Amino acid sequence: MTAAATAHRPGRHTARRWQAAAGLLLLLLGWEYAGRALSGAFILAAPSEVLAWTWQNAGLMGRAMGETLGNAVLGFVYGNAAAVLLASVALLWPRTEALIGGLALLVFCLPLVATGPILRVLMGPGDGPQIALAALAVYYTTLVPLLVGLRAAPSSWFDLVRSYGRGRGAELVHVRAMAALPYLFAGLQIAAPAAILGAMVGEFTGAERGLGVLTIRAMRALDVPATWALASVSAAVAILAYAGVGWLGRRLSTAPPPVLLAPPAVAGRRGGGALVQGLGVAVLALLLWWGAMEAFGLNRFFAKRPGDVWAALVTAPDAAVTRATLAVALRETAAYVLPGYLAGLAMGLGLAVALVLLPALAAVAMPVAVALRSVPIVTTAPLFVMLLGRGAVGTVVLVAVMVFFPTFVACAQGLSRAPGQANDLFDSYAAGRLSRLIHLRLPAMLPAFFAAARMSVPAAVLAVTVVEWLATGRGMGSLMAMSASLSDYDMLWSTVVVVSVLSAACYLAVGGVERRVLAVYAPEQGAR
Amino acid sequence: MAPDPHIPAEVVCEDLAKTFADGTEVLRPLSVTLPSGGTTALVGPSGCGKSTLLRMIAGLEPPSAGSLRIGGAPPRALLKQAGLSMAFQDPSLLPWRSVRGNIELALKLARRPAAPQAVDDLIRLVGLDGFAGARPATLSGGMRQRAAIARAMVTEPRLLLLDEPFGAVDELTRRQLAEDLPRTWEPRQTTTLLVTHSITEAVMLSDRILVFSPRPATLVADIAVDLPRPRRAALTTDPAFLGLAEQVAAALAEGVAGANRPWAAQ
Ligand SMILES: Nc1ncnc2c1ncn2[C@@H]1O[C@H](COP(=O)(O)OP(=O)(O)OP(=O)(O)O)[C@@H](O)[C@H]1O
Ligand SMILES: [Mg+2]
Repeated sequence: MTAAATAHRPGRHTARRWQAAAGLLLLLLGWEYAGRALSGAFILAAPSEVLAWTWQNAGLMGRAMGETLGNAVLGFVYGNAAAVLLASVALLWPRTEALIGGLALLVFCLPLVATGPILRVLMGPGDGPQIALAALAVYYTTLVPLLVGLRAAPSSWFDLVRSYGRGRGAELVHVRAMAALPYLFAGLQIAAPAAILGAMVGEFTGAERGLGVLTIRAMRALDVPATWALASVSAAVAILAYAGVGWLGRRLSTAPPPVLLAPPAVAGRRGGGALVQGLGVAVLALLLWWGAMEAFGLNRFFAKRPGDVWAALVTAPDAAVTRATLAVALRETAAYVLPGYLAGLAMGLGLAVALVLLPALAAVAMPVAVALRSVPIVTTAPLFVMLLGRGAVGTVVLVAVMVFFPTFVACAQGLSRAPGQANDLFDSYAAGRLSRLIHLRLPAMLPAFFAAARMSVPAAVLAVTVVEWLATGRGMGSLMAMSASLSDYDMLWSTVVVVSVLSAACYLAVGGVERRVLAVYAPEQGAR
Repeated sequence: MAPDPHIPAEVVCEDLAKTFADGTEVLRPLSVTLPSGGTTALVGPSGCGKSTLLRMIAGLEPPSAGSLRIGGAPPRALLKQAGLSMAFQDPSLLPWRSVRGNIELALKLARRPAAPQAVDDLIRLVGLDGFAGARPATLSGGMRQRAAIARAMVTEPRLLLLDEPFGAVDELTRRQLAEDLPRTWEPRQTTTLLVTHSITEAVMLSDRILVFSPRPATLVADIAVDLPRPRRAALTTDPAFLGLAEQVAAALAEGVAGANRPWAAQ
């Protein structure tokens, strides 16, 4: 609605562009100034230094980028193909949707930092792990909106198809596919930078070539301009990928989807249904895990089966020690990730609300935030380590920033998404900004806020494990890195199981709060 | 035996009834025969079950009791031949297709060859010339409804179901359509069912008017309209016309009164 309205006012559109350009310019100037002021402190490189380094090392950078982008593109294709396939299965056999959704969530919650080294030993040297991690990083954010989009059409459109005696095939071709297009592109747009992130995390965990490898080397060598140049280049590439897919989506489909990421479908609203479903997902996950290891005849030394992890955690003589180690690491990680997560949510929400009350500032800040939102923050983790040190502050800030951007953008979009007719109603009473905010915009924003809060759970876990692993030497991330380098595969697999199950549980818990709140404030969003 | 696709369809309901799964009783047993080629108007208070009856006849909603036969076969047979069309209460145009695209979609769904000339004629008939390329979002509510009517008519159905087709159309256009549309379906002897809230429209368009009580719908009156055709707008001031309109209004009121005194029905 707002998009259409602004599109018809070209003057306003160009004004927005200028403000956005001004915002970016301000950011660059501030950065340049800070870079010069802090030169010699070994933490910040000014844009001019970044440009100079990039220019001098253009060949090296180009080859690394080609490598990373190639893997990201392959992962993007595989991951999204898997999402489309899974969504189609869920559509054809609606009974499987809950099972597919649960399993997909569990896989999405795999801690990439531990999955990377495991994939490395399973798949050997080469590009396999990077591609696999890129695919793992993208499929869920496509699957979720696609599941919604394929059912998003009003029932009378299906009646129309059926009234000519046609069935599911015609429904899919003439109604569902087209109705799902905006949802698909919303997912693909988030997936584009995520694929780059996945490929780079894969490279962090022991590849030979690529931007991620250069980043690690630059960071270890304390080469400030190189670290900043690499982070800037990967951020720029991610922003471009995000913008490119967005542009394509706008060319191909007519309207943005009403709900970006709907709450998770839990079939059994009654506790019993959810329990059965959870059990089903667990059994299926264990079977698939075991089956994959057996089918490829992988060596038990590094390719652990469910039974091995059970033994390591419960029946082995040193199980108590393993559990204690995990518990310590978990506590350390929780101490970083919880404050960071909550701070990120609060700042995102707070800033979005503040900008509604200060629209002039919003015009400058929004485009910058939208651009930065598409940056896979984790790939800039080395910068945070340089800027804020290897202590708690850097970690908490990184997690907060990781959560902040998607939350802020989602809230800002949600706040502006109040239905036009309702806005007209408030106009007719000459209502002020504040009352409009409280009665109209905040409720209209809630679905977006919660979607962001939910999707940020695995993101926060990824952020914290990456920093712990790269820098702090504490917590789960460090435990994963240590187990990987010591070939303690029992411990490595245990961390994967524990972290995925815990993040999936947190994700579902946020989803539970979400459904309760939406049932009161936005009942139409919960209706499926 | 499958009905011949060229012979219009007679609709026979016997003790047709509908209660939804949640226990909402919508239609009390209804027995009525709608002869082929005729136009029947369904009139009744909002929420009484008219759309539900239409959807049952279209084969989109299974009846919970009784039988329903169209041209001697169950509704599914006609559905399978794409022999019926329905204009839904909400126009249900696909937003990514133009007006023309939406009309052509019906031909595609019915597996008929493209018929650009027929599509153009229909667009003109419903007064949308100049808007063939427009997206539904850029049309007014009444224009969307007219596009939906054109879409329903383009397949030359044997059974045409119109659910409040002129609800959002302005009075003048509505009168024009009431004059023009029958001229296209009369020569083809299309069996037409029309739900409307306008008594004038019901009398103007139909050969027969079925009046229903509030939910659960029961047939309170079955009024034959034997006014000569073609009917023109001037007819609305004719004493015979006014008498029929009065009769329909009285039946509606009687239905509502009966429903408000449930003990009176027993
Ligand atoms: N799927 C359903 N399940 C339960 N009840 C339903 C369902 N569909 C419709 N109803 C109920 O059946 C009743 C009749 O609905 P219907 O749409 O047929 O009314 P109508 O006569 O067309 O009303 P209007 O003139 O307002 O369009 C309504 O009370 C409605 O709430
Ligand atoms: Mg109706």
